[in-house]
Parts: sequence; C-alpha cells; structure tokens
Amino acid sequence: MSAMASDITSGAPLIEAHGLTKHYQDFSLQGVDLTVDEGEIVGFVGQNGAGKSTTIKALLGLTTLDGGTARILGTDVNDLAHGSTGACIKEQIGVVFDTVSIPGHLRVADVGRVHARAFSQWSQHLFDQLVREFGLGTNKQVKDLSRGMGMKLSLACALSHDARLLVLDEATAGLDPMARDEILDRLRAFVETPGHAVLMSSHITSDLEKIADRVLCIEGGRIVFDLAKDEITDEMGIARCRVAEFEAVAASGIIPERELRYRKHDYGIDLLVPDRFAFARQFPNIPVDHMTIDDYMTLTLKGGVR
Amino acid sequence: MKRAYLIEMTVIRDYARQLFGLGIFVGLCTSLGMQSIVAIPGVLTCMYLIMGTIAGSAYDEQNNWGLYRLTMPVSRRDVVLGRYGVIATLGLLGMLAGFIATIALSLIAGVVPLPGDLSSSLGLTQDNVQAMVFSCAVCTIIGSAVASIETPIYFRLGQTKATQWIPMISVFLFIGPMVILGATGGLDNFAGIADAVRGLFAFIETPIGVVTSMAVAIVVACIILGISAAVSLKLYEQREL
Repeated sequence: MSAMASDITSGAPLIEAHGLTKHYQDFSLQGVDLTVDEGEIVGFVGQNGAGKSTTIKALLGLTTLDGGTARILGTDVNDLAHGSTGACIKEQIGVVFDTVSIPGHLRVADVGRVHARAFSQWSQHLFDQLVREFGLGTNKQVKDLSRGMGMKLSLACALSHDARLLVLDEATAGLDPMARDEILDRLRAFVETPGHAVLMSSHITSDLEKIADRVLCIEGGRIVFDLAKDEITDEMGIARCRVAEFEAVAASGIIPERELRYRKHDYGIDLLVPDRFAFARQFPNIPVDHMTIDDYMTLTLKGGVR
Repeated sequence: MKRAYLIEMTVIRDYARQLFGLGIFVGLCTSLGMQSIVAIPGVLTCMYLIMGTIAGSAYDEQNNWGLYRLTMPVSRRDVVLGRYGVIATLGLLGMLAGFIATIALSLIAGVVPLPGDLSSSLGLTQDNVQAMVFSCAVCTIIGSAVASIETPIYFRLGQTKATQWIPMISVFLFIGPMVILGATGGLDNFAGIADAVRGLFAFIETPIGVVTSMAVAIVVACIILGISAAVSLKLYEQREL
C-alpha cells in the first residue's frame, strides 16, 4: 500500500510500459510503449487483431512477456500474478473485457456476491445502486442479458470496488447511444477523483472524441501514433483537394516532405493537414474539414505518404 | 486461496444444490432398484468428485470467466488450490447426500412395510453400515483418482472436444481391470495374492477394519489430490489464456 501512496504523491504514471514484446505463431506485439497518467482517459484504437487485447492482457499480467517492462500502479506486471502484492494491486484495478465475463447461469445478484468474495473494498450499496440505475433486474441470469446489459453489469462491477484504474476492452460495444453517453459520464466522473485514470480500447471513436485525453493507435503489434486527442480533433484537418491543388500544397512545403499523408478517391484527394488554421490561411480555396479520429486512423493506416 | 475458494463455491453453488437434491433422489431410486443401501454413499461420493471437477472447468470456459477471474485479487496458485478445495467439498457433499438418502430410506423401511423383502434389506444393520463405509472408502479413492487425472489436464488444455472424453476413459481405467479380474477369476491364478486379498477382506469385515479402510482411503485421496494439485500448479502457470 505504501507503493500506492507514493504513486499518488509522486504523480508517477498509473500504467507505464516500454518495449512490450510478445510472440505468437501468427502475431507479434513489437516493442509497445504506453503510459497512462493520473486523471487521464486514454483511448486505445486499432483494427481487429492489431494487438489491443494482447497489450491489455500483458498490462494486466495475464500473459507472460517475451520482452519489455510494464508497471501498473507502480508494480511490475509480472508480480500481479503472485502473492499478496499482486492481490493488493488488483484490488485497485477494474477490468471490463469485450464480453460479460461471468458464467451465464449466475444471476445479477450472484455476480455481486462473487465480486464481494473477491474484493475487500467491494461496495454492495454502490453495486445495488448501479444495478438499479442501469435497469438490470437482480434475478435475471447473465445468459439472458443482452450484450449491452451485460456490458453495463460488467461496468457496475468494475466501478463498485473502489478501483483507481479502469481498464476497459471494448466496454461500450453493443450499447445504444443513450447508454453509451451514460457510461461516458460515469467515466468522466471517475477520473475527476484524484489518483484515477482509464485505459479504454474502443472501435467507437466518437466515444473517444467525447472523453479521451489521449489516443493511441496500434497496428500489426506496433504503436503507430500516440497523440493528444485535441491535437487530432482541434488542430488537424482534412483538406479535400483536387489533383492540381494537391500538387500545389505539396510544392508549397507547408507540410514537411515525407509527412504528406493522403488518400485518393474517385472525386479527389483527402489530405492530412497538421494545422488546419494555418492551412486555411495559406490555401483559402481548399475546403478543410475537422479531423476525426476515424479520419486520422484511416489516413495513417491506409493512406499514402509523400 | 480462501478468496478463490469462496469465489468458486459461489459460482458452483446452484449446481451443487441441484446435485445434492438429484443425489438424494438417485440414491433413493437406486437403493430401491438394487434392494440394497450399501453402495449409495460411495457412488454419490465418486460421482460428485468427478462432476465437481467437470463443472468447475466447464465454468472456466464460459464467457472467458477463467481469464476474467485472474483480473480479480487472486493468483493462479489460489485458483488451483481453490479448485481442489471445491472438488473435495463436493465429494463430501456427495457422501453426505448418500448417507442422508440411505438413512431416510432405512427409517422409512423401518416404519412402513415395503413390498417383498425390501424392509429388511434396506435396514441399517451392522453389516450394511460396514459395507456402506467400505464401499464409500473405495469410491473415495476412485473419485479422487479420476479428479486427480482430469484436473491438471483441464487446467492446461481447458475443456475441449478431446479432453471431454477423459472422465469416461479414466473411469474405465479403474473399473476395467476389476471387471476383467472378476469375470476371468484372474486372481485365483496367483495363490499368494488371492490369499492376501482374502485376508484383507476378512480384516475389512471387522468394525476396526472398516474404519481403518476409510482412514486409509482419506489419506490416499489427500495424497493423490495433493500430487495432482502440484502438477496443476505447474501446468496452469504456463497456460496462455
């Protein structure tokens, strides 16, 4: 517990990983670096099979690493699997996987009981309150819950044991927009408490645009970008060019050579613009739209570079 | 370990309840059918040890529960030891269900005259009690041995189409030789062994002998489950979930 106290005061990252490497027969995690600081919501994006879940499993000490180091709440992830130190740290981590990870025959009330046995800081009162607010019947069996309801139950569990860190793997998948907003509000409230943070993998990038402070993207087991969300959505832009305009932009040098990212369409070329305000001043005739995380991912992962 | 045990017991609680009720029902029906109360506690002990093992690992596979459980404040070691605790608990539950069914039936048989010779054959005579305890001892060893084979394999490989055959194969491994020896009179060909077995049975038929056999069975069950747990610990540590 003293390590935990020193983490809060020292402002050390809640998650700190360097060079994470893990080899499987058909996939490798290759030198993944990742940090999550206090008060942050970090969005973790990438295509299916890019390595998000493997990275999360590695960070939770659920898989042995072939290389690299990772610390979570100040403790080496290799120690999470053993002894009282690991147990003490895991008390402070709320985890939600992409499915409701509870045997299907259990009822919602039983799920609370299972967690009460597991977590010394379990708040049955908070769990009951969340179950009510989420509209989950306590007598309903897990197997009878819809995917969205199942995810709400998982979130209720993660939020009911006084965790400092939430690690969510596709937690908002399957939720309707209203429910997603409700969850996002809870996550915002969660990180407002000092010492808290969230690492959240998601394919729903519009959710991350609403709440993430930083966005990491993984592709083929490598981190391809790690940027402040505002840098993407507030500063960057996507210029809709015709071919001649694209050549003019390239020749102007406003975007450094070999950093000119573009994507060709039948009707023109989309161009990634690092500073859309400066670009608009220099090329007032070329329309520039706001950049979304989806656009940025598409241009980064599938676009050409010149 | 206590945490993991309690988590596991909470998960398996409903199943254990159903199994307990089913066990009493099966015990009653089998006793009436066989016109004997001797085998029931043993059969249920063995059945519960095996069913507990299968059910525990089946739940691990459901919805990635085995993986999610490791995000809780329990280690892999806790999970393994908790599982063996649950298996032992279910074995005891089976024994309890068997004895309850047997005693209930004997009481009924003592009060209500049953057709044929049932009332006398279902009575709690000293011979019946001794035979019951001895069969329970033998079945405890068989059930523990099957559980000891199954559990490490499930911890390493999970429940797959291939590993689902293991309980049946291991039961046959124990029952097969007995059936073959009984059918062929095989032991009679080895005079020394046959004499020793006869001597052993004569001892077991005494009250001290039957208590000794139960004590030995418990010790043997503990030893084989302990060895199995040590193997499971090593295998589960290496498993990629």
